[in-house]
Amino acid sequence: MTSTRRLPFSIAALTIVLASGALAQQLTLPNKPDSLKFAVIGDTGTGDAHQFAVAEKLIAFRNQFKYEFLLMMGDNTYGGESAQDFQRRFEAPYKPLLDAGLKFYAALGNHDTPNQRNYKLFNMGGKQYYSFRPKLGVRFFALDSNYMSPEQLTWLKQELEASGSDWKIAFFHHPLYSSGGRHGSDAALRDQLEPLFLKYSVDVVMSGHDHFYERIKPQKGIYYFVVGGSAKLRSGDIGTTGLTAKGFDSGYSFMGVEIAGDEFHFQTISDKAVTVDSGVLKRRPTPATK
Amino acid sequence: MQATTPLATPAEAKLIADFDARVKAYYELRDKVDEGSARQTQSKEPEKIEAQKKALVANIQKARAAAKPGDIFTPAIQPFIKRLLKPAIKGTDGQENKNTLKEEKPNVELKVNAPYPQDQPLSIVPPDVLLQLPKLPKDMEYRFVRKHLILYDSRASLIVDFIYNAIP
Repeated sequence: MTSTRRLPFSIAALTIVLASGALAQQLTLPNKPDSLKFAVIGDTGTGDAHQFAVAEKLIAFRNQFKYEFLLMMGDNTYGGESAQDFQRRFEAPYKPLLDAGLKFYAALGNHDTPNQRNYKLFNMGGKQYYSFRPKLGVRFFALDSNYMSPEQLTWLKQELEASGSDWKIAFFHHPLYSSGGRHGSDAALRDQLEPLFLKYSVDVVMSGHDHFYERIKPQKGIYYFVVGGSAKLRSGDIGTTGLTAKGFDSGYSFMGVEIAGDEFHFQTISDKAVTVDSGVLKRRPTPATK
Repeated sequence: MQATTPLATPAEAKLIADFDARVKAYYELRDKVDEGSARQTQSKEPEKIEAQKKALVANIQKARAAAKPGDIFTPAIQPFIKRLLKPAIKGTDGQENKNTLKEEKPNVELKVNAPYPQDQPLSIVPPDVLLQLPKLPKDMEYRFVRKHLILYDSRASLIVDFIYNAIP
């Protein structure tokens, strides 16, 4: 390599370092121009220093990786739902992201009342459970796992049936699989949801509730993540269950995700700006392509 | 509205019909007072949502000023509801449901027409349990406060009625 070729490379590298600001770490996501990019946070609504610390990293991360929206795994406001609570526990920590026009799609946790569906910045469309398709070929299903009524199950079945060959990503508060000592897997919920997820080839399921990060070994071909440590932490709570592909319960965290074609890339980052997990998952064959 | 559990006797069918009628009466009353400044609409302003909810709660409390425990969960239906719940909390599978129901330990004073405290978690109600109970109209839910069952208005976040010790 000649010196004239080295110069642009150095400038490019320097630009990345400067742009990344507080998040001085390597991006492992491919960052392709036409991919779908989003972030995942869970159990956020404390309004305390930990929520702000993760939010700061989340904001810095966007300098490197231009995610377009965020998923919230529930427990969006702890301890109340007054106007001040929404401001203190949501609008203030994520202000730069909201100002940049990013959308947050919320699921309800056990500390949230169904009334949150009316808060427009949670993009729930006035519903406790809903689906959305931010890009052709990728569909998200936000469920209310607090109250899995027969009506919701019927709705989910219809939505999954109609989603064809799209990527199918479900998210809700209570994990079907988790190694959490405090909560752990919700077997009753799993009995109802897993058969539907299998029948309609759901690819990825994301939850919170347990206050840590855990990537579960694929269960019957489905990938599960617990992302419940974006403001609260239950240190050392991941037990030995045989479910864990990767666990992180010694710090706060969030995920960055990129869907490019049939690949789901992820990078999980701690409040200390350390990448604690990363990788790529291949999508499950859909009924149409099996 | 109809219970998923097959009804054993005409007397039980009558109990369910009476319960349905009482729930419907509440539902229609709630819809009637959910208007004007109390109309629940979507907003970017949390102040507006809070004010709408407070107004709805006030309207319901005014319209049901004389409401008392047992108006909807009548003394006649309470043992029947407890019986409906039994299969979902029996045996090994039932133990899982019971654990789920009792996972949250909210500190809530049971009082008809009282708002559910905002700082207390809502119980998770497993699908198996919901399948046993008579269906409810939109924005009406069954929730548990420890072992007590409440009829919860999810639009107003209000306790409509309750059954003490619905599960052991």
